[in-house]
Amino acid sequence: MSATTYQTAPARPVHAITISRILKAEWTKLRTLPSTWRTAAFALVFSIAAGAVLVISQADQWAIMTAAQHRTFDATSCSLFGVMIAAVLLGALAVRSVSAEYATGMIRSTFASMPSRRLVLAGKAVTVAAFAFPVALVSNFVGFEIGQRIFAAKHLQVGLGHPGVLVAILFGAVAVSLIAVIGVGLAGVIRHTAGATTAMAVVIVGGLTFGQLLPARVRGYLPGTAIQDAVTVHRSAGILAPGTAIVVLGAYAAIALGAAAMRAAHGDA
Amino acid sequence: MIEARHLTKRYRNTTAVDEVSFVVQPGRVTGFLGPNGAGKSTTMRMVLGLDTPSSGEVRVDGKLYAQLADPLRSVGALLDAKAIVGSRSAANHLKWLADSNGIDRRRVSEVLDTVGLSDVAAKRVGTFSLGMNQRLGIAAALLGDPGTVMFDEPINGLDPDGIVWIRNLMKSLASEGRTVFLSSHLMSEMALTADHLLVIARGRIIADASTDEFVNGRAAPSVRARAIEQDDLVVALRERGAVVERCPDGSLTVTGLDCAAVGGAASAHGITLIELAAQVSSLEEAFFDLTRDETDYRAGQLTGSTKGN
Repeated sequence: MSATTYQTAPARPVHAITISRILKAEWTKLRTLPSTWRTAAFALVFSIAAGAVLVISQADQWAIMTAAQHRTFDATSCSLFGVMIAAVLLGALAVRSVSAEYATGMIRSTFASMPSRRLVLAGKAVTVAAFAFPVALVSNFVGFEIGQRIFAAKHLQVGLGHPGVLVAILFGAVAVSLIAVIGVGLAGVIRHTAGATTAMAVVIVGGLTFGQLLPARVRGYLPGTAIQDAVTVHRSAGILAPGTAIVVLGAYAAIALGAAAMRAAHGDA
Repeated sequence: MIEARHLTKRYRNTTAVDEVSFVVQPGRVTGFLGPNGAGKSTTMRMVLGLDTPSSGEVRVDGKLYAQLADPLRSVGALLDAKAIVGSRSAANHLKWLADSNGIDRRRVSEVLDTVGLSDVAAKRVGTFSLGMNQRLGIAAALLGDPGTVMFDEPINGLDPDGIVWIRNLMKSLASEGRTVFLSSHLMSEMALTADHLLVIARGRIIADASTDEFVNGRAAPSVRARAIEQDDLVVALRERGAVVERCPDGSLTVTGLDCAAVGGAASAHGITLIELAAQVSSLEEAFFDLTRDETDYRAGQLTGSTKGN
């Protein structure tokens, strides 16, 4: 006998129906977990609060800042500091949306009902990114408004119409969505909630801590600093343009998701 | 219908499933019987396309699993009832499954009703007992109204009522013309539920026969007897050509004579019988009888483990 005698090439019914069903199923999964909505609420509250705290301290220190610090001062990125908190919390949500299924073994039900594993992972990424986007966008808008009102007391505020502000608010939310995609990818590769969540945190915060050891022009390309660069209006050396920062994050997201898809497609579930 | 042809799964050092070929026919309950670690779960995972065969293939209704357009409408399966995210409610778990295959959401309440979980539909799955999880897993398997259903050790964790319920459910699914494939390491349960048996040991199919055929075609019929004059009875029976064995409990196991002949021999010698019964061979005996022939299979490994995988 020869195994190849029987094996025909597996047909790939990769069509619109499959994709829309995967998205519908993954959205049902995401919205029926109570922790999804809890996480969204935490992300809103803590990211707005964190931005407000930074704004208050910056406003307080304005008088003792050097002239150089005044020149690079960015009222927009200060008020949008909360985007880092949103990235951490919603990134962890993205991790759990995958790792919880591997941890419990429910991933087998997922792959038995939707055998196109790569499409399932892509569907999870799209779903959780689409969920994270409006949460981050609302928290950016609110964070910006609150921040500017605090800055107004010292006449440091900028308006929504100021060049680059709307882009910063929008790209900040896009950055959080891309972090969610990275989270899905990391969890698809690591498959343990604790391990993948730790990796996610290192990806985000690592750029701001260990990354300081790197030369500035390299540091900008780390995911954590790229998130900050996406919300920065005031350009200075070593800071990526918002568009470039999004492209950098997109590249990380593609690599992480691609690695997860490769691991899922080859091997036993 | 499930068809396996030379289905093989090798891991680095072991062969879990070894050149297995079988057909699971519709309209009857087929039991997949074998000790733990025999390859039952691996075979079932390959049916669902979850594990990739090292060689050979398995088809459902003539198609590879990956070729099924809406797999839940063709095959419903319960592999591991505990493999479920616990913070979702039972109804919501079934809803995402329905959405994934374009199944009408009305089916969710229908199948919850079928398995008797309607009252706890909104409860978190994490609060369920193993028996309730089994019922939910069966509901999930029935969701797409599939022509083939497959259950891995479905009676684990069920109370006696639940076991009777499963037994009747399997039979009614088969009577509707569906293919019912059911694994178990509990032979007594299989004897009651399955019409047909596939017996697997060490990754190989060692029997593929109807349950009656399997049970009756193997062990030689025997008679259990006990007398006040036990030694005289042994002599009398051996004179008549019977093979007599003394059991540890003091009774005799007689092969080669039926009850009437044993009784006749006793009365002819004035022996008082205090026990006389025909021994119905059990599936258990037939199974042990069969696996004893497997030279590399030792009984210690059959009885050693108790947990499903």
